[in-house]
Amino acid sequence: MSETLKPQTRRWLGNAHLQYLLFGAVLCLLPLLSSSGVLKASTLSTLAFVLIYAIAAMGLNLLLGYSGLISLGTAGFMGLGAYLAAYVQDDLGLGFWVALLAALVVPTFIGILVGVVSLRVRSIYLAIATLCISEILLKTFEQAEWFTRGTAGKQSSYPVIFGVHTDRQAMFVVIVIALIAVMMLTHNVVHGQLGRALHAMRSSEVAAQAMGVNILKYKLFAFALATLYAGLAGALYLFFLKSSYPSTWNLFLSLNVIAMVVVGGLRSIFGTVAGAFVIIAVPELVLKELPVIGDIPGLPYIFSGVLIVLVIMFFPQGLQGLWQLVRDAISSRRHPSGPGTPRATAEVEPPLGTEAVTR
Amino acid sequence: MEILQPLLRSMETGSVYALAALGIIIVWRTSLVMHFAQGAMGMFSGTAVAFVLNRTGAPLWVAVLAGAVVAILLGFAVDFAVIRQLKRATAVGKEIVTLGLIMVFMGLAPIVFGTDPMLLPKAIPTGEVEVAGANISYNAILNITVGIAIAAGLFVVLQKTKLGLAIRATASNEQTARLMGIPTKTVTLVAWAVAGVLGMLAAVMIAPTTTVTPTFMNTVQVSALFACVLGGFQTFYGPVIGAYLIAVASNFLKLYGSSVWGDQILYLLILVFLLVRPNGLVGKTYLQKV
Repeated sequence: MSETLKPQTRRWLGNAHLQYLLFGAVLCLLPLLSSSGVLKASTLSTLAFVLIYAIAAMGLNLLLGYSGLISLGTAGFMGLGAYLAAYVQDDLGLGFWVALLAALVVPTFIGILVGVVSLRVRSIYLAIATLCISEILLKTFEQAEWFTRGTAGKQSSYPVIFGVHTDRQAMFVVIVIALIAVMMLTHNVVHGQLGRALHAMRSSEVAAQAMGVNILKYKLFAFALATLYAGLAGALYLFFLKSSYPSTWNLFLSLNVIAMVVVGGLRSIFGTVAGAFVIIAVPELVLKELPVIGDIPGLPYIFSGVLIVLVIMFFPQGLQGLWQLVRDAISSRRHPSGPGTPRATAEVEPPLGTEAVTR
Repeated sequence: MEILQPLLRSMETGSVYALAALGIIIVWRTSLVMHFAQGAMGMFSGTAVAFVLNRTGAPLWVAVLAGAVVAILLGFAVDFAVIRQLKRATAVGKEIVTLGLIMVFMGLAPIVFGTDPMLLPKAIPTGEVEVAGANISYNAILNITVGIAIAAGLFVVLQKTKLGLAIRATASNEQTARLMGIPTKTVTLVAWAVAGVLGMLAAVMIAPTTTVTPTFMNTVQVSALFACVLGGFQTFYGPVIGAYLIAVASNFLKLYGSSVWGDQILYLLILVFLLVRPNGLVGKTYLQKV
């Protein structure tokens, strides 16, 4: 931040919620850029998907970052949210809000059931159990034609919200609002009483348990929130694209969401959005345009996979850590013996890196 | 109600699942990594087998040998270049890395071997025998024999040889094993290579029932993981039992339950089973040390 800013202005800018709102306001300008022709329509779509997947990734970041659990069911829960939204809005004709509610409640309920079953054993069982559920859901999407129209694909329409008929650009704004709400909610969860329990759990599950933190309850909560976000992301996906095909909701999507979290940096809210941008937008907007290698069919997969491996191997803090380094470098150049440096050593700890392996 | 025919068929798919599950469990025991990429790596070397077969016209056994070389090299490469460098990472970090490897191998396969789906013929193309009213092809007999022989052979190696002792020691406590002079790094290297070859064999055995595409091992991977859950992660033989049970249950559910939803019902049953016996059929109670 610039030296010329008044302390008060600086405090305002340091307020997390205000940062989210500012971020949202900037994002809301994108549809205007698109309608004035500066931004290609396809680019706007890509950015919308970045934001949608960032919502799903935010839940997984909470889950992975604080409880060290992996969910391989993100795609399944997102798909369920999407199909429910379409079914309730278009087939039952109950409107946007009921559709949204269904897309939030049902996946969360299933998520809680899965969590109760699998979280009692060891943490890796959640990954396997969610893989299980994801396979079941994918099969359901293919077979339950009355609900999903099978492989032909479910078609939907733009929702009517508060009497306003939305279009693509309005839906983009709706997505931005949802993302900002999710960012704020996540921020509050992390910084509230729940967050303290989650933090305690992260440093030592056994110690936290001894202090009276009910591990199972908080793990379940983190997972339930992850499925809630996935359901929301699924519903937004459907309302933006107006169609859904079973093949979208495969394991690769779940893996991609994990990649977003890893690349963005664990327990970082802005990092998650940045991670989603790298995983979704970079292959779409940059890699595709490259000569020769741009035509390789599996390139986005390799890109995500290699990034996951490299980030965990060499830079477990992800983009969040990179940002921290840049900021510290700038502030230490400004004040050679300034306050920037000790902070870095005290706070940055590699989340996927140097922790003792517990068997 | 037919029993013998589906049972024999289940033995064949069970062998495929058992081989893949053995690969997962041997990596789990030695490296403490949940090997989510077992199916993807098996797919890659299995596709290499189909590639060699289709391009050079070499006999199947030559192609399988070539596939084994690919599998061993891949196993070495992954352990040497990735997993070994992660000694300081958490278990979750390592698991996410194997998830990343899925994407890498599935992305690489069409680049290396082309995008056209390939076919892999059966080892014994024709012929079948009748056993008590049920028909079984020579190829199925071969697959069942190979599956059981390799599982049995692996147990003999684990129980009777020096290498097996080293693997078991590493599995029980890596640090102590190293202090006792066991080259644990070599042990994990061997474990990854063995897992690779087992995955390749599973791929070659399942490939004739489908076409060789990047996703053709997905069911095997999922079933193998469930076999480990069902059998428990504490023993080497538990997952093998789990694999055959899953194959039998899947076949009977598809035949007498629902041909469409058979596997899905099975998955739900496994989840319910987790509630009853969280540590698997032959698993001991899992204690976390602080």
